[in-house]
Amino acid sequence: MKKYLLLSILAMMLFFVACGSGENEEEEEATEASGSGSDSSDSEDVASDWEPEESIEIVAPAGAGGGWDTTARMAAQVFSEEGIIDQNIGVVNKEGGGGAVGWAYIAGFEGNPHKLFVASPPIIFIPLNGQSEYSYEDFTPISNLIADYAAFAVREDAEWDSINDLFDDMKEDPESITVVGASSPGSMDHMQFVQIAKAAGVDISKIKYVSAQDGGGLTQLLNGSVDVYSTGVAETVEQVRAGKIKVLGVSSEERLEGDVLEDFPTMIEQGIDETFINWRGFFGPPNMEADALAYYEAKFKELSDSDAFAEIRKQFGWEELYLTSEEYIQFLDEQNESLGNLMDELGLGN
Amino acid sequence: MGSIEGIITGFQTAFNIESILFVMLGVFAGTIIGMLPGLGPISAIAVMIPMTFGMDPSVALIMMAGVYYGAIFGGSTSAILLNAPGVSGTVATAFDGYPMAQQGKAGKALAIAAISSFVGGTVSVILLMLLAPILSSVAISFGPPAYFALMVLGLTAIASLSEGSTIKALISAVAGFMVVTIGIDPQSGTQRYTFGNVNLLEGLDFLVIALGLFALAEVCTLVLKRKDQSFRNLHNIGSLKLTKKDFKEMSGPMSRQSFLGFLIGVLPGAGATIASFIAYISEKKIAKNPEEFGKGSVKGLAAPETANNAATSGAFVPLLSLGIPGSGTTAVMLGAFLVLGVQPGPMLMTERPEIFWGVIASMYIGNIFLLILNLPLIPYFAKVLKIPRPLLISLVIIFSMIGVYAVSFNTFDLYMLLLFGVIGFIMRLFAFPAPPFILAFILGGMLEQSLRQSLTISNGDLMIFLTNPISSALLILSLLSFVFPLIGQIRKRKG
Repeated sequence: MKKYLLLSILAMMLFFVACGSGENEEEEEATEASGSGSDSSDSEDVASDWEPEESIEIVAPAGAGGGWDTTARMAAQVFSEEGIIDQNIGVVNKEGGGGAVGWAYIAGFEGNPHKLFVASPPIIFIPLNGQSEYSYEDFTPISNLIADYAAFAVREDAEWDSINDLFDDMKEDPESITVVGASSPGSMDHMQFVQIAKAAGVDISKIKYVSAQDGGGLTQLLNGSVDVYSTGVAETVEQVRAGKIKVLGVSSEERLEGDVLEDFPTMIEQGIDETFINWRGFFGPPNMEADALAYYEAKFKELSDSDAFAEIRKQFGWEELYLTSEEYIQFLDEQNESLGNLMDELGLGN
Repeated sequence: MGSIEGIITGFQTAFNIESILFVMLGVFAGTIIGMLPGLGPISAIAVMIPMTFGMDPSVALIMMAGVYYGAIFGGSTSAILLNAPGVSGTVATAFDGYPMAQQGKAGKALAIAAISSFVGGTVSVILLMLLAPILSSVAISFGPPAYFALMVLGLTAIASLSEGSTIKALISAVAGFMVVTIGIDPQSGTQRYTFGNVNLLEGLDFLVIALGLFALAEVCTLVLKRKDQSFRNLHNIGSLKLTKKDFKEMSGPMSRQSFLGFLIGVLPGAGATIASFIAYISEKKIAKNPEEFGKGSVKGLAAPETANNAATSGAFVPLLSLGIPGSGTTAVMLGAFLVLGVQPGPMLMTERPEIFWGVIASMYIGNIFLLILNLPLIPYFAKVLKIPRPLLISLVIIFSMIGVYAVSFNTFDLYMLLLFGVIGFIMRLFAFPAPPFILAFILGGMLEQSLRQSLTISNGDLMIFLTNPISSALLILSLLSFVFPLIGQIRKRKG
């Protein structure tokens, strides 16, 4: 009797082990199941001859739940549900080093047309910081998909009412103002602030910046420990609606659309001629073949144009920004140069 | 809409059949996930996100919340039976839970853990319901100087956690501090002790250290001390029944730590782990028989188990009322909210009362279900210990490796696990206690970051720690907890 019990406990444990280690496979199956119902006629429109022969893996070089992960999962979902790509698409998280671990992983699949990854400005910052031996130049940029923008927020009762008020005070007494963001110096939340501040004529080497993870930035802004919160536009909306913070400026070219968002003034309309785009797109491994690249370029275009993805953009507050591979490379080169100069000036460059 | 009306809506949401079914499913899955060392609530909730597409958001969130507190509830099992804390909130549970199991009282230990978890969980849900709107201001009241002071208070535990040589405990803690600095430093962006290895950029995961120093080191000891009689008892489960005396002993820690644990849980970033450590030391400080702590004390087990569950409910305060995720798990839950089209934030309570209060109300049901689920199953769980030792040891090794691998699917972490297993074993051979190491590892990161954030803000002026009322109060408390035992010792000598 006891033996059986023991055996059954063991069997149960093994079962759960299998469940645990199979998390990713399960997800792949789930995506497959949801996509299998659609017909395959769409794919005939594609200009290139290449077709994926096995399941496609999209790497999110960060943990579950973040921006990269969400973008990858949403793209995979729409690809399958809308029947844009018939092969199974699995999203795999390769977390670590702000992306460096995932990039090192992808770099090992040179020319493999079944591995993609999602990328955004850190693939420029982190190599410039010297924290990754791989940069965007080592991979094959396929298409950019969406854009997000920076917002600089202060407490509702703060003395500044425009971004210029803030920057004027920063020029006068830089020691009195602290900026908080989630990333470390030399990465996104820091650099987006620095880029705009420089255009406004602030001495960027004197900016006081602290990094706070796990929602700490907003907490520190609300309790008055710091003065300015450098973050993404979406993170500020609820707090603005509740009347706890105000957004002094957003980094987009023109005003954003949507409730609350449309009230945020841009930097440009406040006389600071500078923008910062938190772009997000998809890359392939080094030296992806031209056929495969053309295939994915067309598929991402189809994804970007679909109603289903428009709905997702709206849900997450993303803006549409589709770029072909060629446009993308040119855009990345420009970004790399201007950010590289900025980092040298800060003394953060490699 | 008034709060009362909102609460009623919440109960209506929580008590419909679908919600009850999914909260049961959630806590059941959570218990199992928590029990297996390594599979934490973070990965479980992340995996669930795509499955909840199309579900009613309140039901989906009720289920995910169930997984979260269910995992903390279940996490004590592997800590008690195998000395393998799979969730960081249950490290302190192993301090007295495992010795109790070694003494042949595994059943009793599991029962104490289940009951104190239930009490901590339920009391804190009542507090959550009554105080959530008010507490949101407490949640944001802690700035960097206050966090620094809280971490200092937590570190006074090193003295309490050391058996025997204080010097060895301090050396162990310093080693923990050194290990936690590995990786990219968030305040400067520079790499520390990574030796150019890309796998070390993110630093070492808590599980690598906990499973290495506790579970694998224990395995080494079990193998080498095969003939030692003291381990015979590990095959006994003993009675589940708690005596009146046990209940009397538990009642103090349970009532105090339900409140304290909840309050610490409310602070973003502090959470179940710090709550359980502070519970353990505070109970040891006020206990009449502190020498029993670490050797299978009922109080020493009840305190952290109450506190970690209470803290879990507390963690919902900043998430639900402010939209601020205070931990990795609540950050993933925030992501889940967004995917379901719900925006957590200060407006959630008035705009979506069925979600705000529904999630809270469902926790009553979840906690009752956890108790009903766990108590009758204890004898079966405890039978794990009857597995022949060679098999059990292999299973512990396998589970530890799976748990560590599941964190980031990186084989490098497995080598680190083995390394820390060996380090843990060597530490045992030379009587260096492991708890100060893990405590320093857990608190060290936040201690350093909040210290440096504070000093950046104050332009290097140390007075920031004294001018901030919360931090100065906590620092005085830390000082007192050092001075009082000293005064006591001096008096004893004189007498």
